Amino acid sequence: MIKNPTHPKKNNLKTKECKFTAAGIEYIDYKQTDTLEKFINDQGKILPRRVTGNSAKHQRQLATAIKRARFIGLLPYVADNIR
Amino acid sequence: MSDFYEVTYVLSPVLEEDETKKLVETVNGWIEAEGGKIEEVHEWGLKKFATPMEGKTNGYYVNMYFSGPGAVLPALERQINIHDHILRHLALKYDAKMKRHRELIKKGDLPTILEVEETVSEEAQA
Repeated sequence: MIKNPTHPKKNNLKTKECKFTAAGIEYIDYKQTDTLEKFINDQGKILPRRVTGNSAKHQRQLATAIKRARFIGLLPYVADNIR
Repeated sequence: MSDFYEVTYVLSPVLEEDETKKLVETVNGWIEAEGGKIEEVHEWGLKKFATPMEGKTNGYYVNMYFSGPGAVLPALERQINIHDHILRHLALKYDAKMKRHRELIKKGDLPTILEVEETVSEEAQA
């Protein structure tokens, strides 16, 4: 935590929680595209951990799941609106 | 030793309905010929692709689960790769984690992140 009492972010830092850990999810399935869509932006890119707050373990699983879904044609590599 | 596998494959949309049915049965036959045991076959039907594949914009999805010896998957993939009407396939060998995940799906109490999001938003309002 920030020790400096005059730092502008002091007491303003939000701690993010991993949603997968909180829900008790063990394996992220590439077929659940409605879940995966929450972790990609409107260009179709995978959101970073600093945005979503996922744990490292789940972020790795999520990335694999999204890449599998893209390969089989369930999720876009690049969204239609910017292609 | 038998392992558990999941395969999703995409059939070409140019096939007629009875041809599609026949091809799904052929694929099942390839697995059974190698000593595999089919557990479930889900036909998702025609779906639009997020990205076009091989000049096509939609395809017929089939998702299936089976168990069998280690020789099943290479034999199946060899057949799939030389077949003209199977556009793409994704085969996964299940580990203990994925098997537990599948048991949860069978029971129907799979945890989702949607419930978590609801509780978080309620806390934010309060």
